[in-house]
Amino acid sequence: MTRRARTRLFLAAAAVIAAVFALACLRLPPFGTQTHPYADRAVEATMRQRTANTVSSVNFDQRAFDTLGEETILFAAVLGAVGLLRRTADERRTRPRPVAVLPSTRLFGAVMLPITLLTGVYIVGHGQLSPGGGFQGGVILATGVHLSYLAADYRVLDRLRHREALDRADALAAGTFAALGLIGLGAGAAYLQNVLHLGTFNQLVSGGLVPYINAAVGVEVATGVIVILAHFLDQTEEFAGGGKGGSR
Amino acid sequence: MSVVDLLPLTVAIPLVGAALLALSGHWIRRMGCDILTALFATAQAAVLLVLWLHTAHGSPGHSPASWVGGWTPHRGESVGIVLVGDPVGVGAALLAALLVLAVVAYSWRYFDEPPARMPGTFPALVLLFEAGMCGFAVTGDLFDAFVFFELMGTAAYALTGYRVEDPRPVQGALTFGLVNSLGAYCSLLGIGLLYARTGELGMAQIGHALGAHRTDLLTVAAFVLVLTGLLVKAAVVPFHFWLADAHAVAPTPVCMLLSGVMVELGVYGAARVYWTVFSGAGGIPAPAVRGVLVCLGVVTALLGAVMCWQQRHLKRLLAFSTIGHVGLFLVAAALLDPEGAAGFALYVAGHAGAKAALFALTGVLLDQYGSVDVHGLFGRAKALRRSVGLLFVAGGLALAGLPPFGTGLGKSFAEHAAGSWLPVLTALFVVVSGVTGGAVLRAALRMFAGAGRRPGESGGPQTSGEGEEPEVRDPGRRVPRTMIAVPAVLLAACLALGLAPGVGGVFGRAGALFVSRADYQAAAGLPGPGATAPPPPLPDWTTAGVALGLLSTALAVGLAAVAVWGPARRGATARAARRALAACSRTLVLPLRGLHSGRLGDDVAWLGAGVAALLGAFSLLR
Repeated sequence: MTRRARTRLFLAAAAVIAAVFALACLRLPPFGTQTHPYADRAVEATMRQRTANTVSSVNFDQRAFDTLGEETILFAAVLGAVGLLRRTADERRTRPRPVAVLPSTRLFGAVMLPITLLTGVYIVGHGQLSPGGGFQGGVILATGVHLSYLAADYRVLDRLRHREALDRADALAAGTFAALGLIGLGAGAAYLQNVLHLGTFNQLVSGGLVPYINAAVGVEVATGVIVILAHFLDQTEEFAGGGKGGSR
Repeated sequence: MSVVDLLPLTVAIPLVGAALLALSGHWIRRMGCDILTALFATAQAAVLLVLWLHTAHGSPGHSPASWVGGWTPHRGESVGIVLVGDPVGVGAALLAALLVLAVVAYSWRYFDEPPARMPGTFPALVLLFEAGMCGFAVTGDLFDAFVFFELMGTAAYALTGYRVEDPRPVQGALTFGLVNSLGAYCSLLGIGLLYARTGELGMAQIGHALGAHRTDLLTVAAFVLVLTGLLVKAAVVPFHFWLADAHAVAPTPVCMLLSGVMVELGVYGAARVYWTVFSGAGGIPAPAVRGVLVCLGVVTALLGAVMCWQQRHLKRLLAFSTIGHVGLFLVAAALLDPEGAAGFALYVAGHAGAKAALFALTGVLLDQYGSVDVHGLFGRAKALRRSVGLLFVAGGLALAGLPPFGTGLGKSFAEHAAGSWLPVLTALFVVVSGVTGGAVLRAALRMFAGAGRRPGESGGPQTSGEGEEPEVRDPGRRVPRTMIAVPAVLLAACLALGLAPGVGGVFGRAGALFVSRADYQAAAGLPGPGATAPPPPLPDWTTAGVALGLLSTALAVGLAAVAVWGPARRGATARAARRALAACSRTLVLPLRGLHSGRLGDDVAWLGAGVAALLGAFSLLR
């Protein structure tokens, strides 16, 4: 297909899709109505499970099986990055050079890094109580570590993250989630059933299985994001020569 | 707790296995990784076998189901996710598990150079792929199905591009990933529309709630969008462009899984979504679905067969034959009757054995000769004639539907169902299976016997398959026993499927339950009529079925013979026939091959055109 034919075909198709989708959206229920069948049921179930944060209750208890799948997608992406971005025979490893950074930037990083990490831990730790949880906190933790790359250089970042340990922690966290579900089966109930003691509403240890799954997801997301970024950064910072998809 | 509560384990077992592999691969080394993978793949297959025996032989009342997390519904309402153990769903998961087991055995010590830091990466990804496919097959929740659909995609993209030393796999995997992701976004949009309308995510629950609304553009848009992701996965025309490019470059064990079961799961998902969500009041009328999807199936089957015949790159040849067969599967499933569904299920099971075996044998050729080019291998594989060659021919005959292979029986069910709706569809089944089987036989004659003239270079766009990297770098070694044993076992399984007594009864019942909306709703805890009367069991082999199977096989053998020995024939008739064929090839086939440019932009444009066409068709026909 020529470039022009392709563009025309795509634009014509896009116009049809846009028109039908826009007309379909006009049929959506209006905003601000009172009927929210799933939300009503979910909030009621959250209260019964003594979990203060409904979103976490949905994520880690009511629809925990979805979350297991989502977390596994991240795990698969990590393994995919490990496999695809591995160093091949025609790539050499080079030592990244130190980079000069403005003192103000360095100061900013030194102050913000611990604060960001602390925030991440807080967001993960209180996932069952307040907005946030393993997914959000995990991303914040990973961001915090990478402040060292912005405020210093790649060598500092490399010292901060122990690659082997992170790989293992990631796999361990992914496996832990799946294994936590077996507690329910072991107790004669269903897989991922919240059979632990539910505790007191709005206490740090409440919601039964929720805080544990939440913590596993937090570790998985934090380590997963760091590992994936590490493999991409390695490609640009450390490997030279060869060049994938290059000159063959 | 009952047997059916083991359903979530079909996701948990491979997941724990993958985590253990990633965790300990460094310490347990190569051999340990292989053993660990085999253990988990076996456990998974065993659990699914138990589940399948439990569900396939019938229990009183509706199909069993398991609510994950114990969120069983109160007054017909639940906040949880249901997994449904109907025979076709569990059977699809079992098929995936058995193929993974075959792949694990086949690729025992397969790669020379696993990533140094994590040698368990490849088997771990295979197990995650398995978790995605099994979760997708058994879930009764639309969003959950999307999640596992994405998991299966993510693992498959990484596995496809695994040989990063060569730029081609990376490009193939990128196209595969981007096109399939676009399809998946469409599906997610559609799920969003359905959730906005009904406030439900369970397939049966959405279907039930749609009954309170009229069928309007929102229903149509949701149906088409949800279907898009599934049809992209199923490689239905015009969403099929990614498939051959991905298959040509993926490692052989991955091809076995992609062609054997993943692509077919797309058709399974489309049929599942139609029956559970859209087949009732407020859904999409059956005649529209039947008309449009059978049309798509016919075009897909014909295009797959024509393109398959044109290939000299073995993996691309097998990939296009998969497209041809997927077209037939779509026709069978889209007939929307129990017999069609039964034929679909049995045909897919038989095809998985035959196609995976053929890919496995292609892997042996790649291993021994570093090429998958039929022309380049002309007469070179004579040494392997008695082992690989015979199995390759058997695979070709199975693909053509020779009785008593399971493919033949599945084809005869599907053919009968299709023929009683529209007689000309019978011819489609015979022609497409004959042409694809013939292409395989032609390749076998050339490579293993050096029969006929050495094929010349023809013009036009084509991929030769020369200069492939051997996947196992140890030239001159003997063919590992497992690499011959696995395809032999797969073909034997395909044969056993057609010979086992009572197959018609089991699959007939499975098909009837698959198309029973009442059964699914009852399983998912909705009030309703529940169990329906069991259908009359299908006969195992009929005279017509055997005759048509023999006919398509004869067609395959005839086509292969003409292609191999025809060019050497003399005489006016032979010359005239050759001239007519050349003209036909110039006007019809070359433009078609030109369309398969392998450019990502073209693939995306066709994806958009397909969605727009489906939206238009269903808007008009609702």
